Amino acid sequence: MEQVNCLGRRCPQPIIDIAKAINMVGEGDSLILLADDPATWPDLRAWARMTGNEVRQNSSTEFRVTRRTQNVRGADQHH
Amino acid sequence: MGRVVGNFQSETPLHPKAREILLDAIDQGWSDPKKLTHQSAKARILRDHALESLAAQLAVHPSQLEIVGEPLLGNFFAIEGLLQPDDTLLYSATDRKEVFAIAQQHTKKIELSVDITGQIQIESLRDSHALLNGVLALQVANGETGVVQHLEEIIDSAGAARIACDFSTCGPRISLPMRWDTAFYDAKSWQGPEGIGLVAIADGSSWTNPLPHIGAIRTPSSASLPLVLAAAVALESWHEEEKSESPRLRGLSESLRRQISTSITDCDIAGDLDSSLPHITSLSFLYVEGEELLRKLDGGGFSVDSGSACTSENLKPSHVLAAMGLLTHGNIRITLHHGVKEKEVNDLAVVVKNAVTELRH
Repeated sequence: MEQVNCLGRRCPQPIIDIAKAINMVGEGDSLILLADDPATWPDLRAWARMTGNEVRQNSSTEFRVTRRTQNVRGADQHH
Repeated sequence: MGRVVGNFQSETPLHPKAREILLDAIDQGWSDPKKLTHQSAKARILRDHALESLAAQLAVHPSQLEIVGEPLLGNFFAIEGLLQPDDTLLYSATDRKEVFAIAQQHTKKIELSVDITGQIQIESLRDSHALLNGVLALQVANGETGVVQHLEEIIDSAGAARIACDFSTCGPRISLPMRWDTAFYDAKSWQGPEGIGLVAIADGSSWTNPLPHIGAIRTPSSASLPLVLAAAVALESWHEEEKSESPRLRGLSESLRRQISTSITDCDIAGDLDSSLPHITSLSFLYVEGEELLRKLDGGGFSVDSGSACTSENLKPSHVLAAMGLLTHGNIRITLHHGVKEKEVNDLAVVVKNAVTELRH
């Protein structure tokens, strides 16, 4: 499974990166996000609720993100 | 730092009437009210009047009111004074960090979860044994989000638990519930001076001073008398203004929420306005860094607060937003003070929209 490595990056960077990466995989496919900012899990959950995707926490720094929607609006697509 | 166009931070200047009395009070209220001299008698009269006035405005009896020179110590008195060593402390996941610290000192404690609107989940109060010998620390309104708890409903479900209410954010904007044991106030919530906490104790016989003490002294009443007088004057004036300001500020908050949610996508607004204070709005914008947003708004002359991790000292995300399941990054908190103009709020909405759009590119 493809990994998005955001270890050492502060929020919202991991969320911005996962939003970009999730559009590259097919619907129903998953990605692994590695991130150690303490805001990652609460923010990932909120992101999943806002965008309709699915997230799961594997460990304190590893998260599984599954694409459940057509296209996720990323940071640079808010016109 | 830009020119200040609007202050939307939680801090507010002292009420002008309170400022006026403060200087006068420093001249008149310097003597120790407990002594027997003429000056002391004068100071005692001033203090008694202030206490009577404060008590009347807060709808308690003067004998129920204690004044504490360190507001957060007041919160400690309100909770810890009701707790016996074997009791269970119940508190909300969105409560103050200081309450978490009190809980750490007790073996029996229950953290109550909240829903996405910030309301304590009534189901989490089902531990009947804990309620039988428990103290419920009830933060009436949250300072970060402005969310107001459904007081009566929660207290009805709290069984025999004693209730320690924290009114420090809302002040007497919210009335005391039908049943309460202690209530904690901070004079800053009504534009009073900093450094004045008030603790109302419904029944003195069910409360004990949690600090080491000798004799019958309930709390060390070391609060500065001039500040107490200023707090009383501020409350009288503020209360009068609040009657007309409250509905007006609620209308402005409604308009602010509408403008933000229709012009900016992917924004979490904390709590329902119907269950929130009229003057506090917490907004979180997806993919935006709180500190950058704060700086951009400040550059435009608008000062606001933030609950995001990057703006906190310990770099931890807001436990309040996280407990509610809301986005913790890109957060700003807007406080509308008495007298704020509609145009200022509309201008702020535009500046926020522009800043968020820019930061997302």
